[in-house]
Amino acid sequence: MTASSTHWIVTGNFTEDGAVAWRRPDGTWSRRIADAGLVVDEETAKALSTTARATEQREICEPYGIEVQVDGDTIDPLTARQRIRANGPTIQLRRPD
Amino acid sequence: MYQYDDHDRRIITDRAHQFRGQVSRRLSGEITEEEFKPLRLQNGLYMQLHAYMLRVAIPYGLLGSAQVRKLAHIARTYDRGYGHLTTRQNLQYNWPKLTDVPAILDELASVEMHAVQTSGSCIRNITADHFAGIARDELEDPRPYCEILRQWSTFHPEFAHLPRKFKIAVTGAPGTDRAAVRFHDIGLRIVENAAGERGFEVIVGGGLGRTPMIGEVIREFLPKRHLLSFIESILRVYNLHGRRDNKYKARIKILVSALGIDEFRRRVEEDWEASRTPELELADEEVARVSAFFAPPPYETLPANDRVDGLVLGRDRELGNWVRNNVVAHKVPGYSAVVISVKKPGIPPGDVSDTQLDAIADVSDRYSFGHVVVTHTQNLVLPDVKTSELPRLHAELRALDLGEANANKLTDVITCPGLDYCDLANARSIPLSLEIAQRFDRIDYLNDVGDVSIKISGCINACGHHHVGNIGILGIDKRGEEFYQLMLGGSPGNDASIGKILGRALAQDEIVDAVEKVLGRYLEARESPDERFLETVRRVGFDPFKEAVYGTTDSLEAAGDSP
Amino acid sequence: MRIIRDRAIVEDDFVRVPDGAEPPAGAKPIVRLADFIVAREELLARHAAVGVQVSPDKLPADIPDLQRLALIAIEFPRFTDGRGYSVARMLRQRHAYRGELRAVGWVLHDQLQYLERCGFNAFELQPGKPLDSALGAFGELSVTYQAAVDDPRPLYRRR
Repeated sequence: MTASSTHWIVTGNFTEDGAVAWRRPDGTWSRRIADAGLVVDEETAKALSTTARATEQREICEPYGIEVQVDGDTIDPLTARQRIRANGPTIQLRRPD
Repeated sequence: MYQYDDHDRRIITDRAHQFRGQVSRRLSGEITEEEFKPLRLQNGLYMQLHAYMLRVAIPYGLLGSAQVRKLAHIARTYDRGYGHLTTRQNLQYNWPKLTDVPAILDELASVEMHAVQTSGSCIRNITADHFAGIARDELEDPRPYCEILRQWSTFHPEFAHLPRKFKIAVTGAPGTDRAAVRFHDIGLRIVENAAGERGFEVIVGGGLGRTPMIGEVIREFLPKRHLLSFIESILRVYNLHGRRDNKYKARIKILVSALGIDEFRRRVEEDWEASRTPELELADEEVARVSAFFAPPPYETLPANDRVDGLVLGRDRELGNWVRNNVVAHKVPGYSAVVISVKKPGIPPGDVSDTQLDAIADVSDRYSFGHVVVTHTQNLVLPDVKTSELPRLHAELRALDLGEANANKLTDVITCPGLDYCDLANARSIPLSLEIAQRFDRIDYLNDVGDVSIKISGCINACGHHHVGNIGILGIDKRGEEFYQLMLGGSPGNDASIGKILGRALAQDEIVDAVEKVLGRYLEARESPDERFLETVRRVGFDPFKEAVYGTTDSLEAAGDSP
Repeated sequence: MRIIRDRAIVEDDFVRVPDGAEPPAGAKPIVRLADFIVAREELLARHAAVGVQVSPDKLPADIPDLQRLALIAIEFPRFTDGRGYSVARMLRQRHAYRGELRAVGWVLHDQLQYLERCGFNAFELQPGKPLDSALGAFGELSVTYQAAVDDPRPLYRRR
């Protein structure tokens, strides 16, 4: 894994409904990880998170940075936890009736 | 069951109103998430991986049919059509919006329900034996005391910010503890002393999690009237002296262990002598008032019904298996208690859909005086069914996908939500439980293996109670991958024991095979079909099972597997 | 500095004295416990009203001459540190303390009613937090189940 293929992005949960949020390059928040703005290192992600935490409480809960791998257009988190946040639970949700 | 009076109603509606104010101050930005968090936790609202999660309190697991219908309505209207039964007799919703929670709390309040103190460092739901009031081996019904403790603990101003959460359980059947009182922060057993008086044996400092411990007796006999004042003293000593520097060392069990039970007892007794007042004594009138709500329902006078044996051995094998496994003897002649297993292969254990909940409400009205009880094994109980109606009930439950004949059997798995939902988890637990349920879904095999509990937790917080499973599985994170520790020999009851890890952690594609090997070894090693899994493990020890899974009885390196 | 005392917003008439410093003459000083232990006779002689501020690990037994104190302030270093609630209740009920009992530090609007029920009658909120709306917190839960300082009778004795 070369340095150029890993990046950091900023994530959190929307205050209103708790859904997973990904920070776009322009500072707005998306529900899709594909829209996340890539930054080059952890420090930058941390700084963006700190600012968001201070100024965007109404929109976002507890933002933080995570490391991801980028392959073309696909952004792929490195941990199972973040993958599940990006893609949803790995099991069928609604009970079939 | 307990009926609210104006005071009770006021308390809950005031709280819902207060929370509405707190939510709008959060949404407007007047308070930050850091300040809001303890407030929302005290109203049972968590933030999980994908969404908020709301945990509704079901005091000692008991529900009336109107409440069940309301839970169905909330699932349908505000969530994704299902609720999840928990190991502390509560129900949780996985997808509520913060903006809807005030409305949900109002809806709950309209049926005398709430989400108070189901989270946070405060006193949580008081749990009890799910056969309370009807079990043949019960000395006295614990539910009135559970209700009294519920009221005492609700919004208790002194104990809202304890070092950590606090869980109390009560059993009225001293011979068979179905409430796991020895694994709670405070466990209470109703007992009778030599003079024939009833009181409580008070056990303190039990728990699971990172450091599982069996509780110790702080008072062998506490007269009933001292229940609240004595418990307050235990809480006060904990509040003042429990550790607040390390969240993993903050439960009361750590304090009791550090001081030793004698010193801990001395401090509690000292505080009790200095603090107890006549007003704090539990008045007989109040015990009588609350007990009246738990008076027996209008049972018919029926002959003792030995139809049960006939049903078990009858030609309808599905009915026979279900009666054998899911029907429990009742103290009133002609009645039975029925376990509704929600554990159908393919369904995450504990999940119930809105249509099933509505149907269960109807069934409870027609068969069980409108009552349903949530068990801490994530199933439901209809407590008062006429034995003569069992065949008809079974047919109805089967049509609802609620007729699995697997109560206490292999596929009656207990599991936490795990990494699919939970922010604390290290590994997924539900897929494992689904695989187990699918692989062993053969009734003859289930009956042959007999009573065995498999309990799965996705992290060391042990919400799946894996330490006290006959087979316990703990999910861990090993180098970024999901691995599973396998342990055997746990039991939550009077014969309390903590499971022992068998060997090195196993990968996702190894663990269910390992469970199968363990079961295979049990079937070989047991003295007779009557010897249950747990008994065999205790008799032959761990080596035969180690050998079956790992091919060796050498002490296997589990050191790299810290959760 | 404005504080809440007895459910009203008032100007604080006590003065917080830095560690080791000499309180101004004629003032109503609040000193930290360590300073009080060292100089208590002098302080009590020189000032009509003396207050002591304690950290939450202190118990009533750690405060000498507590009945001669006009004020005891208990610290809440984090709003999640609940020890002060028990200490306050012990001071009021076991020790019959009658002076001002003040909650200081990280004290949230939403805790005021619980704090009051445990015996606090004065509160310093954090800088910037509105006091006027905080007064509304006191009546938010109109019925209480359990005995506390405000009423030593559980609800079942009041029903």
